Formats: sequence, structure tokens, C-alpha cells
Amino acid sequence: MDEWKPNPVVKPHKKRSWYLAWKYKLMNQRALRKLCQTGAVLFLLVTVIVNIKLILDTRRAAYEEEEESTQDYDDEMLNVEVPRHPASTRKILDVEVYSSRSKVYVAVDGTTVLEDEAREQGRGIHVIVLNQATGHVMAKRVFDTYSPHEDEAMVLFLNMVARGRILIFTIKDEGSFHLKDTAKNLLKSLGSQVAPFLSWRDMWTFVGKKGGEVYGEKHAKSPALSTWGDPVLLKTEVHLTSMEDAECHWPDTELNRRRRRFCSKVEGYGSVCSCKDPTPIEFNPDPLKDNKVFDVPVAVIAGNRPNYLYRMLRSLLSAQGVNPEMITVFVDGYYEEPMDVVELFGLAGIQHTPISIKNARVSQHYKASLTATFNLHPEAKFAVVLEEDLDISVDFFSFLSQSIYLLEEDESLYCISAWNDQGYEHTAEDPSLLYRVETMPGLGWVLRKSLYKEELEPKWPTPEKLWDWDMWMRMPEQRKGRECIIPDISRSYHFGIVGLNMNGYFHEAYFKKHKFNTVPNVQLKNVESLKKDAYEIEIHRLLGEAEVLDHSKNPCEDSFVPDTEGKVYVMFIRMEQEADFTTWTQLAKCLHIWDLDVRGNHKGLWRLFRKKNHFLVVGVPASPYSSKKPSSVTPIYMEPPAKEEGAVAVPAVAAAEQT
Amino acid sequence: MQKINRNVVLALLTAASLVFLLFQLSYYRFYLSQKNAAVFSKGRGSQSGQDSTRWHVVRKFLGLISSQNIPVYLIDPLVLGLIDKDIEQIRSSSDGPSPECKYFCAPRDFTTFALLDKTWKHEMDLFRTAEKMGFQWLKILNKDPRLDGMDDLSGTEIPLHYIFKLASHAIHLVVFYERSGHYLWHGPLRLKQHMDRKFVPFRKLHFGRYPGAYEKPELLLASIDDLKVQIPKNPSSFLEEISHSRFLECRYREARAFFQLYPDDASLDAVEFRKKAKSLLHLAALTLNNLGVKFWLSSGTCLGWYRQCNIIPYSKDVDLGVFIRDYKADIIPAFQKAGLPLKHKFGKVEDSLELSFQGEGDIKLDIFFFYEEDDHIWNGGTQAKSGKKFKYLFPKFTLCWTEFVELKVHVPCETLQYVEANYGPDWRVPVKMWDWKSSPSNVQDNGVWPVDEWDDVIQIY
Repeated sequence: MDEWKPNPVVKPHKKRSWYLAWKYKLMNQRALRKLCQTGAVLFLLVTVIVNIKLILDTRRAAYEEEEESTQDYDDEMLNVEVPRHPASTRKILDVEVYSSRSKVYVAVDGTTVLEDEAREQGRGIHVIVLNQATGHVMAKRVFDTYSPHEDEAMVLFLNMVARGRILIFTIKDEGSFHLKDTAKNLLKSLGSQVAPFLSWRDMWTFVGKKGGEVYGEKHAKSPALSTWGDPVLLKTEVHLTSMEDAECHWPDTELNRRRRRFCSKVEGYGSVCSCKDPTPIEFNPDPLKDNKVFDVPVAVIAGNRPNYLYRMLRSLLSAQGVNPEMITVFVDGYYEEPMDVVELFGLAGIQHTPISIKNARVSQHYKASLTATFNLHPEAKFAVVLEEDLDISVDFFSFLSQSIYLLEEDESLYCISAWNDQGYEHTAEDPSLLYRVETMPGLGWVLRKSLYKEELEPKWPTPEKLWDWDMWMRMPEQRKGRECIIPDISRSYHFGIVGLNMNGYFHEAYFKKHKFNTVPNVQLKNVESLKKDAYEIEIHRLLGEAEVLDHSKNPCEDSFVPDTEGKVYVMFIRMEQEADFTTWTQLAKCLHIWDLDVRGNHKGLWRLFRKKNHFLVVGVPASPYSSKKPSSVTPIYMEPPAKEEGAVAVPAVAAAEQT
Repeated sequence: MQKINRNVVLALLTAASLVFLLFQLSYYRFYLSQKNAAVFSKGRGSQSGQDSTRWHVVRKFLGLISSQNIPVYLIDPLVLGLIDKDIEQIRSSSDGPSPECKYFCAPRDFTTFALLDKTWKHEMDLFRTAEKMGFQWLKILNKDPRLDGMDDLSGTEIPLHYIFKLASHAIHLVVFYERSGHYLWHGPLRLKQHMDRKFVPFRKLHFGRYPGAYEKPELLLASIDDLKVQIPKNPSSFLEEISHSRFLECRYREARAFFQLYPDDASLDAVEFRKKAKSLLHLAALTLNNLGVKFWLSSGTCLGWYRQCNIIPYSKDVDLGVFIRDYKADIIPAFQKAGLPLKHKFGKVEDSLELSFQGEGDIKLDIFFFYEEDDHIWNGGTQAKSGKKFKYLFPKFTLCWTEFVELKVHVPCETLQYVEANYGPDWRVPVKMWDWKSSPSNVQDNGVWPVDEWDDVIQIY
């Protein structure tokens, strides 16, 4: 545009000739007029052209501007955000429910939402909860009411389901043997005609709205003890309600927005979703003074047990000194519900594509979680590792805050754990007391970053090695003689009943009676004496003041320990070499403490409480403390019982307490 | 009469079109210049009005974030550039009111602030308060790179950038994350499909075209134009950092694909070698950084980073590159002091210099010095027994930051060309038998050292 000349018509070759021509033309009116006309027309033409150019240019400029501004900044990822569930305008759901000996299924609008035909699995009453407005599955449970106590769990669950939800029941195999009256009455109150009369090997399906109408029920009686009822198939229709009716009207806050999201998706969490006075999801426990673990990342290792995770996170977030910013929940697999729980509490969650199977899968999940934890918190020197089936003591962080410096200063330490394997109701007493043990208890523990990064991570068992991570960590190659600090009274409680190596019987035998600290702000005693050398001095002092028990009595008897309080007693058992735990195992058995493998020992010494007295057990002659044995005392020897076939009902998996 | 009329009409027409044309031209010029200067500031009020708008927006923003207890600091290159000129004065000045608005009124479209990763608890509260104050905001999320290297983890996305817009000025808030290797990282700014591409002219942002890596800055609370704001204690070194902050993420996905094809060596030897090589690399980085010598991963170490995001377990040494202009005579004593004795020295500063230090457990640290020519860069090699010289040619490259074995280090930004020059198009295939004199695809014979120089240019310890 700059080159544009205002008058392109006149192109004089020389100044003089131009002047002459002009002069001549002036004389000639006609010529002048013609010239003016042509000039004007040309001018108009040029104006038009310039105008068009102007318009084109500005347009292009504007377009380029737009292009430029974003070119580099487009996300390469195609972000296709399809709405998760196509909004269905249908107001009626077709529901199909099937019950038989070997197979159950539930289909909603043609989509199978439950199908179970696995053998020897899924026995009992299957329950599905649907959202009454959307028809989405909110919960899926199976209660093996053939076995004891499962009906109680079902009652608990059904009571937690909000009014108005659609409930679907179906029996696989057998569901009545331990279905007690309480449960039957509850089913009756839901509108079931048949439930009170359900009996052995009956088939049954039922669809109803909690606190409302019944959509259908079918039942097939078992003709004889040895046979099952005929399969039943129930087809029915359910009318959906409006969204308004399906939701509570909580005040609009950020917390309640999270709550609403959660409660419209899943069921079975009880009062957190109750419309009137729901239970809080933010806890604000007291902060700790001088909290040494405020900036320590907390990794919560989770699988697909969202109810456990819910309970666990509640207790964790209620613990004094907790820092929710540092918590990350690692979910093994693409399960939605655990992530919903994590979001409910406003925490960070990470999902992990499962690698390998069974124990190795857990092990790979642990590795990924630990690595990610230290990646996310590169400044952290430690990480707290928790599992989804633990209750966390109110003074968990206070306990760690007081003891964590030991990990920094004492090279001979492997970990700090919140769990005392031998800390049962009848064997633990002092919340301020800590021990050093040669075993690695897990179940809520602190890992040093340098230990993980330099030693464990590079040689962590690969997926094809089907190893338990905790068994592997306990191996001498890894532990290298280092010890863990544990409290006398555990700061975590293992409540998981279902799990990889866990069942109800096992839990009751080994975990139910575990002592769990509920006292806040416990001031730990003499933490300094837990350091390597100081601890030896402490032990010698203890043994020096300890009263030797009467070794002629039976150590399993209650009378073995006098009826005193607050005294220190010692007994000596036979222990030929370091790995000889014959007598100890028998003693552990009769004391009803952990006997599946050896836990809680320190150089052939065990420390526990009996009748509120500190009770020391020394293995002679393997223990260096054997010198404290008076020469008159003969160490007690207890013979293992003769092996009986099938006598052991417990799966003797040594790592059983994990998961 | 008719004729005159016609003439008058013509003349009028001509005059009108001339005026029109001139108007158009001037408008066109004006439009172009405006586009170059600031399309963004649409309302072109008086200059001083514009200036104070910027100051007001910054003040409002600082009020907003302090009401939410969010610590931010100023990283705007333009404003910091101005501040840097008067840094002494600003450092020493008391809180007295400043006579004029010198810094925050300077013409620009954005003011850039940084925020350290600690995310605040109630982001929604911040946005709501911001809206009440009249800000429009935009949040840019993306994947968390700290989980990228991990097998199959998918976390929640993390916020990388926030933009707060008020009137004709915008605040760009860059979120910095701390990563393994003691450095801060900020992400690239990438718009998702549904986002408003015209929210602000994104091109003009100073941060976000590429991800960047920075040292943790020391901060200083200063009073700038009567606003209390945190600034880097040393603005000039921070400004210097901005200019070469570009960060390359390791190609984790490709590395995983590589390991699918060639499973990783998990033997105890490999674990042990990697551990030693890693600590050697950390020691070398510490030593060179202390000397202020810029270096990058070269040869096998660079290939290991590029191909598998890890040290190649059979590579036997750690290779670093240094531009000869960064050579310092202190390098050798510094390494010796760090416990790495000189193993051999080939060449001289003027030609083909190469240093080797002995690390722990038979691992060698090789430092190759690179010579820049007009159209290429090269380093030299020397065969000890024959005095033969070799030359390895590389296309020109610049340096980028990356993270490798928990260390923030340089690699050539044009890594592919660099690796291909060195290892040929088949660099993806592991080769265990490697001859440094013949295997590289960019090696050239470069004559022989004169025998009388041998004592100097071939030193073996």
C-alpha cells in the first residue's frame, strides 16, 4: 500500500513537456472536460479497489490473529468429552431378575448389571441398589446368608440405603440357612410377602422401592432337602421418579457439592448421605504442636473395597495432626467407587492399571505407589504407608511426630510401625512404651526414602515372581539385620475381614482382640532409649530389676504370673540357636497371641504384658541376655503337639495379616 | 450551465473520493499499527488511563490472592526487567510511597506471577471471590508429569496455568511443581477443544509455549509501586534463566515400548551398575555445576535417556559434553578433589580435548569437549597407541533441560538429530559391541597427532 500513488493517470516524462501539455489542454475545454471525467472515473475505480483490498486485508489480519493466538497451544490429545450416560428420556425401566442354584443375573433395560455363574462362589442373597431417578446401579452386594452373621451385615447395609432407592434381591444356591428373624422382618417391611417363609434352598427374586411400592416378587420352593427350588425369572417394570425427588436439599457449599455427587452415584454409606443432618465429611481435628510429620506424604494403598476405604479415611482424617494435602490414595485397578470415596473427602487419588496376579499384583501396586509418592513429593525424606483396611489411632501422627527423628539418626532402623503383632487386649498395656523388634510388622508404617530409592526400588520383585511384598521386605537380604520401632499398644487397627489372605475366622482368631490406642496426645516415654546402644542399656536395666518367675509352674496358666500390677517379670525358655522357636511358638499359642510365625523378637527377647505386669521372655542360650539367667533356673521347654492331619483350620499363610 | 454543473459534480465527486481514500488509508495504517502493538487493549483510552488500569488490576489480583492466603511471586519478564535496573534501590528502600508508577504501569498485556505447587484447599472459593471482584478466569489442567514415567498410573489432572482477566489487563498465574532433582517445573499451556481460544492472545504469554525448568528462587518481599509483592531476590539471574528454561520430558511411552521389545536387564549386576553410574553422574553434575560449567548428556548416556529413560546397563561409562568455550582449567583439580582421579587426557584445548576420570568400581566418566563451526559442531577422539585422531560431527544444537535419574540436566534439544548423527538411523536397536573408532555413523578420520606432541596430547594415568 505504501507504493500507491494518488494520481497514476498523469505520467509525465519530463517536467517541461508535462507543463506544455497541460497548458495546451487548458486551452481546449473539451479535452479538459474529458480529462477530468477520465480522472474522476479512475479515481473512483481506485477507491473501490483500495476499499476491497482494505476489507480483504483486515479480514485476513483478523483471521491470522485468531490462528496465531492458539496454534501452538492446542492440546494434541483429542479430548472427546462424551457425556457419560446418554440422557435417557425413558421414564420406565425394564428389570429382569433370575435366581437359581448355579446362576443369578439382573438386567436393567437389557443391560446385564449382575451376572454370577461361577462355581462355589457368590452363594447367598445378591442385592442391587438402583437410583430411582436415573436407574444407575449404586451398589452391588452379596451376603452369604448360608453362613452366620452375614444376615446382620445385610440388615446393616439395607438400613443404610436411603429411602426411595430401588432394591433388587436374588438368591444364588442357598440364602436362608442363617437368615434370622431380624433380617426376615426387615425384608417383610420392604414389602416382601415371601421373605418370612424363605426356607432351605428356595429360589427367590424381589424388586421393590425402599419405603414404597413393590414391583414384583417370585419364589420357588424347594421340594426336598436334597434338591433346589426351580429357577425363577422375574420380569417387571419400574417407574423412574424425577431427579428432584431423588436428591437431598443440602445447603450449597463446596463440601455439599462433593457430597451430592457422591450420594447420587453410590449407596451403602449410611448417614453421610442422609438428607437430615448428614455426617460431616470434613473433620478438622486439633493440630499438633510442633508436628514433625506434617510434611510427610501419606500413601494409602487401596484395592476395591470402597466401604473399607471410607471407614479408613474417616479415621485417618480425624487423627490429630493430619495434613490432608499430603494424602494420596492409590487404587489398584480402574474401580470407580473407591475413587468416588476419595473425591468425597476431597483427597488426591491415583489409579493403577493392574499388573500380574494375586500377591504379585499387590506387590507391583505397592511399588508403583511408593515410587509415585516420592515422585510427587521429591523433598520428602519419609513416607507413611497405610492400607485401606486400617483404623488409624487418634494419636497416630503424634506418635510418629515424636519418634520419626529416630529414623533419621539411627542407621540400624528399618522402619517405624504403628502395629504391634503381639499387642492384644491381654498383652499390651502401656501407650507410652515403644519397642525395637527384628520383624517388620507393616500395617501403618514409615519408610525412609533413601532405603526405598537406594535399596528396595531397584531390586523390587518383578511381576513374574509371585511374591508378597512384605514377605520380601522381611527377608534378611533386604532387612540386613535392621530393626523396626513399634508401640506397645498399636496405633492402627486391622478391621479387614475380606481380603486376599483373610477370612472371617482368621480375623476373629488373630485380629479382633488386638489392642488399639484411643487416648489422644500420648507422651511417649524415653524415645531416646530406642536408639541402638541405648536400647541395650535399657534392656539390661529392665532385666536387672525383673523378678524371675517360678519356672516349675506351667507358663500357660494364669497363675504363672502373680496377681500384681506394674511389676517386671522374666521367664526363660529354651532356644538352642537363633532360629529355634519351638518353645516360643507353643508359648505364643497358649497365650493366644500371634503364633503363625515369629514376631516381635529382639535378640531372643520378647516383651509383653500379662495382668498389667511387664513380662519378658528370654530364649536361652541363644539370646545374649541369657547371662541374666540365675544358674538355678532351668529354661522351660514346651513340646510341639504331635502333628494331626487337618488339625490346622487356619490357612497358615505367614503374611496373612496383610490385605 | 449544464457543462458547469457537470464539472462541479465531477470535481465534488473527485474531492469526496480523495478524502474518503485518505481516510481509509490512515485508518488502515492505524489498524495495522494497533494490531502490532496491542489488539488486546481494545478500548484505547488515554495513555495514563491504560497505565493505571494495569496497576489497578495487579493490585486487585494481589488483594485476591492474599485474601485466600496464596503465596505468589512476580516472574513477569518485562516488569522484572525494569525492576532489575533499580534493584539496589528497591532492596534498600523503606516503605515510603513511591512518587510515580514506574513498573506495574509499563505497557504490556499481561502480568505474570508464579505459584508454588501447594495447591490451596478451596479453589472454588478463590474463583468465586475472583468473580465477585470482576475477574474472568481460565484454568488449564493437564496430566501430572511426575507420574508420567510410572507404569500405568493415572492420577487426577493438575492445574498448570490460571489466567485472570479484568478490563484490558490479564494476570497469568503459572503453577510451579517441585520435581525429583531439586528443581521447579512448569507445564506447557495447551488449550482443550472446548476452551475459549480468544480469552487472551495466548501467543503473547511469556510462559507456556514450552514446559520450563527453574532453580528454586530465593524470594524477597519488596514494595513495588506501593504494592507489596514477592520477587526473585536476584531478578537478573532469574531473567537469564527464563531464556534457557525449555524443558523436555523424557519419552516415557517410547521407553516403555522399547522395554516391551527389549526387556530390561534386572540382574544384580545391572542394578549395581546403574546405582554406581547414577551416583557418578550426580557427583559429576555437582562438581561441574559448582564450577559453573554447562554440560549435557552425550553419547551413550544421552542415548539411554532418549531411548529408555534410564542408564544403559552395559554402557560401562558416563558421557558428558561440554562446549570448549566453557572449558576451565579447574575442571581436573575439582574432579580430583571430588574423589575422581584423572584417567586420561587426550588432545588439547585448541583441538580434540577429551578428559576421562575414574569413578568408583570401574566406571569411567568421559567429558568430551565440543567445538563449534559455522554449520556444525564436532568433538574429537584420539587412539592412544597410534596417535590417530578422529572427529565426530554433529548438526548444530541448543540445550534443553530434562530430568534424568533424579537430576536436572541438559540434553540437546534436537535430541533425535544428535542421537541419529551419533548412532545412525538404527539407534533404536541395542548394540552391545560398540567400537568408538568405527561404530559411530558420524566418525571421520582426522589425521595423526605429530609425534613430538604426543606427550602433551596423549596422557594416560
